Amino acid sequence: MSESAAVLTSYRAKDFLSAENLDRADTVVTEIFKMMFDFDIQAMDLPSDACPPSQLDERTAIVGFSGSMRGSCQIRTSVLAAKSIASAMLGGVPVDDDDDSINDALGELCNMLAGGWKNRVPSLSSECALSPPTVISGHNYKVHMSKPSAKLSRRYQFDAHALHLTLYRENIEPAGT
Amino acid sequence: MKGTVLVVDDSAMMRKVVLRILKMAELEFEAALEAGDGKEALALLRSNNVALIMCDINMPNMSGLQLLQQIKDEKLAVGVPIVMVTTENSEPQVREAILAGARGYIRKPFTVEHIKNNVKPLLAA
Repeated sequence: MSESAAVLTSYRAKDFLSAENLDRADTVVTEIFKMMFDFDIQAMDLPSDACPPSQLDERTAIVGFSGSMRGSCQIRTSVLAAKSIASAMLGGVPVDDDDDSINDALGELCNMLAGGWKNRVPSLSSECALSPPTVISGHNYKVHMSKPSAKLSRRYQFDAHALHLTLYRENIEPAGT
Repeated sequence: MKGTVLVVDDSAMMRKVVLRILKMAELEFEAALEAGDGKEALALLRSNNVALIMCDINMPNMSGLQLLQQIKDEKLAVGVPIVMVTTENSEPQVREAILAGARGYIRKPFTVEHIKNNVKPLLAA
């Protein structure tokens, strides 16, 4: 077995799905929103597989994980909320609906969330790399992973806006591990 | 603050954020240059003198670590503090950055205090 395969099996699905990982996500989200935007953000109590229906005028940012865990970090929010995030990142400067900085801000936020989360998981910190962010405009899309995946979801609320965070982990280990 | 700061990041938003937080940390430079990747940064460094470089690691075309190596090889920005700004905090990457010539390392998200504590002392030295 190669070294990378040994690392892959060390981060198992049941570890990924642990309550600790949701706590880590909450900590990272809270920290980033406070430090970067001065927003108080709260986790809403939803089952981990809950996924509210998509709405019109949404943006989704995706950052991929590779290495000891393959998967992705996705955040979904309304354009209004994304504008609010972009404006806060710029120190309160208003942004237009079609401003590129909205996508840029959401992508950077997703990058910080993905990095912050995996840096808090000891077995992933040095062994997992991030892809550049991708941002999707629109709604009613489906994400298809190449392999069955486990996911952790959490909905947050800030400044009257909702933000949905989902962490996916591809099941790349042999069955039964 | 005298001189020019060069901010290298593929996100225009993050470049603005870095410049804004430098200003809030009382590190407002006479001029600011921005580069979206390592190649753009090298082009700017070949024709400009800078006093500080703030550099992302994960960028398209040329990563921050490759940029550091190229700066070292071409003897550009000799003695200029280079601070890496990234979401990554893995030890091998920090080690690699320091070996390639980085003088500091700041993890995103960062605050004015982080800049004051980690960047200001490099400029005073």
